[in-house]
Amino acid sequence: MSSSPLERLQRRFVRSVTFAADADLIAAVTGGGRLSAAEAIGVYRDAYPARLTEALGETYEACWRVMGDEEFFAAARDFIARAPSRSYNLSDYGESFPEFLEARPQAQGAPFLGDLARLEWAFLRLFHARAQEGLEPAALAAAAGPQSILRLGAACVLLSFKHSIYGIWKRDRADDTPLESGDWEGAQRLVLYKRGTNEIFTRELSVPEYAALTALAAGRPLGAALEYSGLDEEGARGLFAFVADARLVAEVVPEGHGSR
Amino acid sequence: MKSAPGVRAGMTGVGLRSVHYPYLLGRPRTAVDWFEAISENYMDSEGRPLEILLKIREDYPVALHGVSLSVGGVEGPRPEYFRRLRQLADRVDPFVVSDHLCFTGAHASNVHDLLPLPYTEEAIATVARNVAVAQDALGRRLALENVSSYLSYRESVMTEWEFLIAVARRADCRILLDVNNAYVSAQNHGFAAEDYIDAVPAELVAQIHLGGYSDMGAFLFDTHSRAPTPPVWELYRRAIRRLPDAPTLIEWDADIPDWAGLEAQAVKAREIRREEHELKPA
Repeated sequence: MSSSPLERLQRRFVRSVTFAADADLIAAVTGGGRLSAAEAIGVYRDAYPARLTEALGETYEACWRVMGDEEFFAAARDFIARAPSRSYNLSDYGESFPEFLEARPQAQGAPFLGDLARLEWAFLRLFHARAQEGLEPAALAAAAGPQSILRLGAACVLLSFKHSIYGIWKRDRADDTPLESGDWEGAQRLVLYKRGTNEIFTRELSVPEYAALTALAAGRPLGAALEYSGLDEEGARGLFAFVADARLVAEVVPEGHGSR
Repeated sequence: MKSAPGVRAGMTGVGLRSVHYPYLLGRPRTAVDWFEAISENYMDSEGRPLEILLKIREDYPVALHGVSLSVGGVEGPRPEYFRRLRQLADRVDPFVVSDHLCFTGAHASNVHDLLPLPYTEEAIATVARNVAVAQDALGRRLALENVSSYLSYRESVMTEWEFLIAVARRADCRILLDVNNAYVSAQNHGFAAEDYIDAVPAELVAQIHLGGYSDMGAFLFDTHSRAPTPPVWELYRRAIRRLPDAPTLIEWDADIPDWAGLEAQAVKAREIRREEHELKPA
């Protein structure tokens, strides 16, 4: 089916902005002011990477700080050339930027960049999530048993990284001390969560704590999740106290109702 | 549809921007009558941005202004966009829901810019079709804003304002008249901005925007990075003579001043309206 004039024009315009100026579009327009047709199209073409770079910079602020302007802008330019924006919301742009950063040859000197970017993306998602007041500690303690399934609220994210990036992420913007490998060496597991308000909290998790919480998040009963994690009794008590105090549990599915 | 409390004729407002959140959350007395919120900044959020908007809404009328509807896009609107915008509108109860008379790219490659449409019958029909879908999905009328442009199409068969008016009449929607954009386009394309302002029927205008452009030497660029310039204020004075009831908004998106600096522009707009309608002898 042949396309209409407006369809053709819009296709050419998008191609001219995201790729290269289309000769047919240049012939179809007149530049405003003292601009030639190609220069006028260039106004839109120049604005496109600037706008998407700005969006990446807002989401991946810590990566930008670590990489510096020159390297971050170069990475953004290459990413934008490969990854069109498919969402109507500019804030959604850059979901695959962490993997892109990780795969860049320049990342060899900063192997933690992918993890740092993943943390920033997760933080953004949680920032926009609805604050959830989970069960009060007493209510949770009364309802939960070994066979119970503890459903975690939506405003709770479990993250596991190959590198220790929380300290880098939290680092003062004014602190320009060069990072050393000791700053990022070692795996790290975090839980990011909201508790009733839109303030975001972070807690570092041990390996067994992370295993227990991911098992709970996957729908395993409390007793099974703790057993799977390998937490000792004291560790299990400590984790449960944290989960209760942070009000991470939205719902307790009683024994016998848990299988899905 | 509920009517937002506090909406009154000729009120002046400003765009709600995050840099002013801390100040506004103190619930100070301000000289502005209303706020305009960028729809996309709130419709995909259940977090702090929405919380703040709803707090603002407790004290002020609010209008929602979108940048991503792409009402001139040949692919048509995205259903998910309307679902979320409807949800936001139902919560905020805005007195105006608006977007731009343009297209913003393609679904598979959104360029997030306000790309101009050719002034043709096909474009009018496309916009009218999309507005019908939008108004049906939202359960309220839209207002469409004239955009600044840096090029014109050889295939256009009418002036920009004839196109804007034809769209509003055909689509049964209203007009958000951006006086700055009219000035920028007039300077860039060599027509008289006064002709544009004078041609727009008062009954179609839901709202007025005022903003600042940057003079790039070869053309004027709609940057919203400064206060309206003297010729834009003069054009506003001309517009407000015929549109005394239209709510006016100061838009400022880059190099945003502190609250007092922004508020002063709203006060200036109010004063111009007052000079034209309250101080002049009948």
